[in-house]
Amino acid sequence: MLLHVGAFHLDIDSKQTTPWHQLAPRTRILCTVLFVFAIVLTPNGHWWTWAIYGLATMSLLWLAQVTLSVLLKRLAVEFTFIGVVLLGTLFRGGGKLLWAWGPLQITTVGLTILGSVTLKALLSLLVFNILTLTTAVPALLHALIELRVPPLLVAILTSMYRYIGVLNAEFNAMRRAAVCRNLMSSKRWQRLVIGNMFGSLFIRTYGRGERVYQAMLSRGYQGLPQVEKVSPGKRGDIVALTLTVILALLGQLIYWPR
Amino acid sequence: MHHNPISIENLSYTYPDGTQALRGVNLSIRATERVALIGANGSGKSTLQLHLNGILLPQEGQVMIGEWAVCSEHLSSIRNFVGLVFQNPDDQLFMPTVLEDVAFGPMNLGLRDQELKERVLQALRAVNLDPEWYGERNTDNLSGGEKKRVAIAGVLAMNPQVLVFDEPSAQLDPRSRRQLIELLQTLPLTQLIATHDLDLALELCDRTVVLSQGQVVFDGETERVMSNPDFLVQHALESPLCYSRPYCQLEHAPALLSSSIPL
Repeated sequence: MLLHVGAFHLDIDSKQTTPWHQLAPRTRILCTVLFVFAIVLTPNGHWWTWAIYGLATMSLLWLAQVTLSVLLKRLAVEFTFIGVVLLGTLFRGGGKLLWAWGPLQITTVGLTILGSVTLKALLSLLVFNILTLTTAVPALLHALIELRVPPLLVAILTSMYRYIGVLNAEFNAMRRAAVCRNLMSSKRWQRLVIGNMFGSLFIRTYGRGERVYQAMLSRGYQGLPQVEKVSPGKRGDIVALTLTVILALLGQLIYWPR
Repeated sequence: MHHNPISIENLSYTYPDGTQALRGVNLSIRATERVALIGANGSGKSTLQLHLNGILLPQEGQVMIGEWAVCSEHLSSIRNFVGLVFQNPDDQLFMPTVLEDVAFGPMNLGLRDQELKERVLQALRAVNLDPEWYGERNTDNLSGGEKKRVAIAGVLAMNPQVLVFDEPSAQLDPRSRRQLIELLQTLPLTQLIATHDLDLALELCDRTVVLSQGQVVFDGETERVMSNPDFLVQHALESPLCYSRPYCQLEHAPALLSSSIPL
């Protein structure tokens, strides 16, 4: 999480006017989620399905005019986290034994699963990153409300988005203050101080939460966020959803007879 | 507009840790009056202000806001009647964009669509922010002065009759402070301004209330209390800076001084 905080400007490609950008944000979320479900629910080893889905992702990438360098950077950061999970899928029994060293063994089944899970993760992350790169966060949050996600949950997400920058600034201020008073002496001491900073950040957040809640109350908040009226969908939205469903089914049809 | 929007009788409040923040406060504010609330840190200014909006309920005594006594049944009417502007705008701006934040209050009032939009635009114009330029901006990326104005717009959008400010000029640069003073002068509402900025109090408010250790120790003309340095020091305050500045123009100097200078 903290890796992303440094440059907290998620939607660098949201101001363009491509067909993808013309879709209502809720349609973009729906298409993305549908597509990701299709990707991850495909049984392991169905390579051709993912080839079709990959082709579709690439066309989307081209269609939405995403800045590739930023996309790749984000993917790289996210893959370091997923890498840990991926390693776990490699060493497992079943199939033909290819390599063994003590309790560790690599088998054909392990390799298939590793490849499948890597592809699933890669494609899903690509699609989600395209969504967040091309859609402003407030628009995404709005779309979630329109998709009937519980308003309280969206309100929590909203305030997380709003305050992550404030928290980051506060943490940096504390760190700077510590460095100004010569926080250099030893690594151990630095870790201790940073731990304490996190602690006091937590306590400050608690106090801030209290004050924010008071500010909300004083403006008539009664426990549930208010929802604006939902605008009706356009024809383009329906076309996009239909295309996504057809694409998902097409990918699955290749392996149908088996 | 209500003729006597705030009247407080014998209000006392003790925090759970035993700190007595208010002791027998009596205060009454008339419509369109602009009143400064001054006092040292911990003198009970914020506690008093939180009572005016029903965020704290009176433990002893009574607070009347308009025609309603502050108690849990009348909270929503009271909160529509009194707008509270907090000291740190970051505590008050909790929505991602300026438009959404200003719309928060009116949406809680049940406004929608065109009416909501009108109200938001009106509030933004009242604080001199261009809705076109500021509307979609992230509330985190504004300057301190802009944040303050958005916070005030968020409160104005609820059409309150009373505005309560906690340290409005804190952390503002001189120009933003000047703009704020001009803004407050143009707002035709009853205002209660808690502040440490006594120059601001002197400029904006004819009447001043001094709190000290939870008690009202002075309630009257601003100039009278400001020109009494001994009294101010006694209550951990200090004369406004403008009282100690040299006079730029001779005719502004007190009579005593101008008569002694040969012209």
